[in-house]
Amino acid sequence: MPDAAILARTQFAFTVSFHIIFPTISIGLALFLAVFEGLWLKTKDALYLQIYKFWLNIFAMAFGVGVVTGIVLSFEFGLGFAKFAKLAGPVIGPMIGLEVLTSFFLEAGFLGIMLFGLNRVGPRLHFFATCMVAVGTVLSASWILSANSWMQTPDGVVWENGRLVVRDWWRVIVNPSWLVRLPHMLSAAYLTGSFLVAGVGAWYLLKKTNLAFARRTVSLGLAFGSVLIAGQVFIGDLLYGTMLKHQPAKMQAAEGFWTKQSDSPAPYLWVIIPDQKNQRNLLQLGTPWLGSIWLTHSLDGRVEGLKNTPVQDQPSMGWVFYGFRTMYVIAIAMFALASASLWLRWRGKLFSTRWFLIALAWMTPSGIFATLGGWYTAEIGRQPYVIYGLLRTADAVSPVPAGTLLSSLIAFIVIYSIFFTAFLVFVIRAIRRGPNETVEFVPSGSLKRALRPKIIASALGPEPISQ
Amino acid sequence: MTMDLPVLSALFLTGALFLYVILDGFDLGVGALLLLDPDERHRDRMVDAIAPTWDGNETWLIMAGVAMLAGFPTAYSVLLPAFYVPLIMMLLSLGLRGVSFEFRYQTVEARPRWDAVFGVGSILAAFSQGAFVGGLIMGVAVDKGVFVGRPFDWLTPFSVLFGLCSLAGYAVYGAGWLHLKGDGRTRLFAEKSLRWITPIFLLLSSTACFAAYQIQPQVTEAWSYHVVPLVALSAVFLVIAIAITSRAHSSSFSFDAEPFVGGLIMFTCAMVGLVLTFTPNIVPFRISIWDAASPTASHVFLLVGALFVAPVVIGYSAFSYWVFRGKTPKEGWGE
Repeated sequence: MPDAAILARTQFAFTVSFHIIFPTISIGLALFLAVFEGLWLKTKDALYLQIYKFWLNIFAMAFGVGVVTGIVLSFEFGLGFAKFAKLAGPVIGPMIGLEVLTSFFLEAGFLGIMLFGLNRVGPRLHFFATCMVAVGTVLSASWILSANSWMQTPDGVVWENGRLVVRDWWRVIVNPSWLVRLPHMLSAAYLTGSFLVAGVGAWYLLKKTNLAFARRTVSLGLAFGSVLIAGQVFIGDLLYGTMLKHQPAKMQAAEGFWTKQSDSPAPYLWVIIPDQKNQRNLLQLGTPWLGSIWLTHSLDGRVEGLKNTPVQDQPSMGWVFYGFRTMYVIAIAMFALASASLWLRWRGKLFSTRWFLIALAWMTPSGIFATLGGWYTAEIGRQPYVIYGLLRTADAVSPVPAGTLLSSLIAFIVIYSIFFTAFLVFVIRAIRRGPNETVEFVPSGSLKRALRPKIIASALGPEPISQ
Repeated sequence: MTMDLPVLSALFLTGALFLYVILDGFDLGVGALLLLDPDERHRDRMVDAIAPTWDGNETWLIMAGVAMLAGFPTAYSVLLPAFYVPLIMMLLSLGLRGVSFEFRYQTVEARPRWDAVFGVGSILAAFSQGAFVGGLIMGVAVDKGVFVGRPFDWLTPFSVLFGLCSLAGYAVYGAGWLHLKGDGRTRLFAEKSLRWITPIFLLLSSTACFAAYQIQPQVTEAWSYHVVPLVALSAVFLVIAIAITSRAHSSSFSFDAEPFVGGLIMFTCAMVGLVLTFTPNIVPFRISIWDAASPTASHVFLLVGALFVAPVVIGYSAFSYWVFRGKTPKEGWGE
């Protein structure tokens, strides 16, 4: 049986990877929902309400799965990594505490009104609730990114009698990587939302259904997506610089070179088969010159390899490299599509160019994969430390036997598979069904019933006579 | 004047746990009762009664967990591994319960299946929480601030009894909520459930008290310091349990909120009793709140934050309850 440390890490990696999919979707969609409802209030155009309700249904499912898988994480610090919890609790505990207070409650408190309250509170207050939920998602991301960034670039603490004591909360919260990682993650979530919204619209355009709905969502999604991807390229470059300074091992692993200095000119590697044990690549494929140009901004610059970091402090190159490449390749595809969209929009062919719509439809879930790739780079690239430079992951695990950890890991895999399958089935069904053709705001109508498939009302028939 | 920060943090933690129990308690109770009702329309009404506010209720559990991580990391790092199995069970059950809220509305043909998942999730979550507390009462193996026991140390006849007791208690409380929010069939269903679940809850909780007193010498000792308040709490608990049972049998509740308020008082009594039993320890009978506490800066940060933000949270949470006040509409919210 694998040892407890490996199992605890696998379990955390599995549950956190699964979880991050859903907040990424809900942070992104929350912004779009606020925009759609705001536009509806401003223009009184019922099409915006229709778009709002369609995406609200999917948002609600993503939010639900995000909430229940998020609760797990707040306990998993102690379940799997008790020594980490004991050491870092005084630092990240209060931050997550403030997160719960300022954002979880905000989201939860207004979510009910957002989902069920349109006719109870009226459109304006309902719009306020939608905005509060969107603000809550941003605040939540801020605190979590702050806590996670502190684990990447710990600052503001001192050792006292074997404990970490906070000396300066400002430096803990505004630690060196947070200011770059937060906008990076928020842009990632909004890009995910943009491509979801635009991708589903593109699919409708290809199927020639729900055309008015589709045109508006494609247009709006791409408008946001184009601005965001341009910003993201810039933020990503800043983050690269920050990480190069604070966690060189991570970036060394991300570029796939082993030797202290790469050849000159350096290729940009796309495919490698790393052999961590012998500190070399069994295979590497790349584009000549491009590594020097992109990474050193010169024609003959050399790139640092992972051997600059002592073996016992190296992260696993394969995971970091492919996590980073996944994100990078998707970003390039997004950039290309966004550029094409600007050209097509200018030519008035945005809704009729078939190859473009097919590409856009394929890109619907791309933001999720890019976000996962980015998080794999960040988290596996931090290894072998859980708090960079302060606590090794292997020293942080709980006194729980491997057999127990293995059983819970299997339970998580089984139950999360059910969640994921159900989520996918219901989202795909909702997309296939499409938005209701006519949606009007009737003061006496229930939003929730409108959210349900029409068939339910007819299948259930009239209310059974009660005794 | 010096302030005892660990005590304030412990109060905040206890407050969050208390709010969790009295808020999500009825959600879990309603969930458990879903399995007793074969009529789908009626189950829709039961879920509608908790759907708009359950998420905020559950958030208090995260608040309590994180307050312990922030304020008492030693206790957190002992208790979570010690109760690894029931906690994982609780988290997965809460997950199954939580996703069922959303997924049951997405399907007609599979809705009964999601309702079953909802019910089983609620029951297992309620049971695991009780088993956790039962295990706490029986004690945890600690050496030098580290858990040194085995993964199934918590599993004893007593913790099972306490798990069942908490399930029954939540069911009484959930029926009270349905009696408050439902009318017609729903209220009748609540009343009928109260008739037989309330006496079971009373029986289980008295047995649990008796057993704890007999088996765990630390409880015997702790209770000897608080005889008067504990007798008073037990008397209130007993009177209310008997009153709910008899009024449910004779259909003579004088107002619809009566069994809910009764359940609320019973849970308050139980929580105060537990606090009296455990104080001043956070890992019962082994580690005191001062020995488990974080450095001062951590308490200050969370407490100052809570001082400003918690009233706002309670304000808009109350507003949300106010928006969905009154009887749950027959055709869902809004009609």
